[in-house]
Amino acid sequence: MATFLLRRLLLGILTLLVITCFVYGLARAMPGTPLTAQMGEDPSRKLNPEDQERLRRIYGLDKPWYTGYAQWLGNVARGDLGRSITRKQPVTTLIAERIGPTFLISGTALLLIWLMAIPLGLYASARSGTADERATSLLLYVLYSFPTFVAALFLQIVFSVWLRGTPWELPLFGMTDLPPTAPWLARAADVAHHAILPVVCQTYVSLAYDSRFIRANMAEVLRQDYIRTARAKGAGPWRVLFRHAFRNTLIPLATLIGLSLPGLIGGSVIIEQIFTWPGMGRLFFESIRERDYPTIMGLTLMFSVLTLLGQLLADLLYCLVDPRVSVE
Amino acid sequence: MATSGGFWAEAWRRYRRRPLAMAALAFVGLLVLVAALAPAIAGTKPVLCRYKGRLYAPCLGYFNRQWEPAIFTKDRFRGTYPQNLKDKDPESWAIWPLVFQDPFRTVRENEWPGRPENPAKDEGRPSRTNLFGTDQAGVDVFAKMVHGTTVALLVGFVSMGIAGTIGILVGAIGGYFGGWVDTLTSRVTEIVMCIPTLVLILAIIAILEKPTIWHTMAIIGATGWTGIARLTRGEFLRLKNAEFVMAARAAGAGPLRIMLRHILPNALAPILVPITFGIASAILVESSLSFLGFGPPPPSASWGSVLNDARSNLSMWWLVFFPGVAIFLTVLAYNLIGEGLQEATDPRLREARK
Repeated sequence: MATFLLRRLLLGILTLLVITCFVYGLARAMPGTPLTAQMGEDPSRKLNPEDQERLRRIYGLDKPWYTGYAQWLGNVARGDLGRSITRKQPVTTLIAERIGPTFLISGTALLLIWLMAIPLGLYASARSGTADERATSLLLYVLYSFPTFVAALFLQIVFSVWLRGTPWELPLFGMTDLPPTAPWLARAADVAHHAILPVVCQTYVSLAYDSRFIRANMAEVLRQDYIRTARAKGAGPWRVLFRHAFRNTLIPLATLIGLSLPGLIGGSVIIEQIFTWPGMGRLFFESIRERDYPTIMGLTLMFSVLTLLGQLLADLLYCLVDPRVSVE
Repeated sequence: MATSGGFWAEAWRRYRRRPLAMAALAFVGLLVLVAALAPAIAGTKPVLCRYKGRLYAPCLGYFNRQWEPAIFTKDRFRGTYPQNLKDKDPESWAIWPLVFQDPFRTVRENEWPGRPENPAKDEGRPSRTNLFGTDQAGVDVFAKMVHGTTVALLVGFVSMGIAGTIGILVGAIGGYFGGWVDTLTSRVTEIVMCIPTLVLILAIIAILEKPTIWHTMAIIGATGWTGIARLTRGEFLRLKNAEFVMAARAAGAGPLRIMLRHILPNALAPILVPITFGIASAILVESSLSFLGFGPPPPSASWGSVLNDARSNLSMWWLVFFPGVAIFLTVLAYNLIGEGLQEATDPRLREARK
């Protein structure tokens, strides 16, 4: 176990080095710098050439990219992700600010997905072949192919434009309309109200995918000989489904849970962009547009670590649910 | 089963039994037709016309600017044909596209005899002249979408062509040779998987001076091969010790020949499935990029860019509805084809259906 973890750790560090180096080089190769990107948006902030040169030196933009990368790497090794150039705040503070809103959406969505996907998947395999099951499966399939950003726009049109003025109206974007001084209960309700549409958008695609995934795995398990044995010895249909079949689909499910980890904290760029939700995905998008290298790098590092951790978690869960599998 | 043809004939027979998968195939066929005939379906340039004693096909200009006959530039048509043709050559005649609307510009008053100007701003709801309405600038949405079909189709095929080639190559090499080669290719695959695709795409698009739709396709292809590579590697690992491979080796076949002629045809069916699903996701990526405003610059019309126009004014529901449904149906079609392919070629699923 220890050697396995050590091996994965070393390989993971190597992978992270390659990824961050690559992304840093790419980011620096994009035309413009954080300074010019800011000036492009607001002409009144145009700097004279001497000030520009001075700022370039302060932020280390005058040095070649590999020197900059080495510096960034050295800081990271000391636990310092640096300061955002365009927002004048430490990157860790920025991430800490955005992680809550993203988690609110993706955590709620993930909970809803698992609460619904497992019963749906089981229901579909229990009633396999009947008319209602086929209708449900077809509906889920259609939902799965429905692009999120199209669904988000449809929902916005229906709930924010057509239903404007009715009790069913939902806010178009943002996280809250109330000032920070409002009582916390009212603010919580307002945030929840704003979160409904993003949560729905983030839920439905994965729900469709996951319940189909469970259904497919169940179909595989239900063909096994031990299921026939269980039926033959007189176990009821639900008992066969839960005790004999479902337990054996936990293995692929574990992988799926592990792989959903990066999305849980990384959020969705498109959904956060459409609903102007102040989360990680939106921060990522903005930092690329602003050429804010420290933020881009901080977020890339975080996403990559999460992806690698998710893969590791999937492997470990695998061993946990199936004693036959060993990490060695 | 009575007569059993080859593997693919058998797969096709199974595929044909699935009405939804067949409908999806027909839908993609329809899209190909629309894309190929786009200038004849919607446009403001004649499909065929006789002008000063000769026959021309100005509609080809929609495929490539240079294919528009030079005489019309020389005679200062400036893109408006109906009036100019009549004025400059009373003897001329022309066959017009089914819908007289242009995907790149608004149609002005009386450009087509007796027709008012296209409505602009948020006035352009769907009508007889503008089937799918018009956008803020007064450009016809139906024409935009008909001409955007090419982009949607090309994105799927070109990017997955690239991704399929890279994925099969990397997976085949890793799976066949094993050892340190496999470690290396698996590492590379894992690294590419970890790089946030959006950063990669946005950064590369920003680096390019003049990004075109082809660049977008190449980037989607260059980032979308990891799943295919993993699957190919698995198939090659499974098959490289099969008896028929050993027989080929004993007969003196080299590694390249074994990989291409013996293993690949046997591994192709399971690899084709993720490629088909990949086409669906490539279309999704392209349209979401265009939607975020990082799509191909005008005049390339893409369905996603119509959606992007809608974001500034959501009361123009037709800017969301028509392209949204088009993207959805196309993605659904490819997913259904992929599913049909899977059911038709996977022997394990086949047994289950009995």
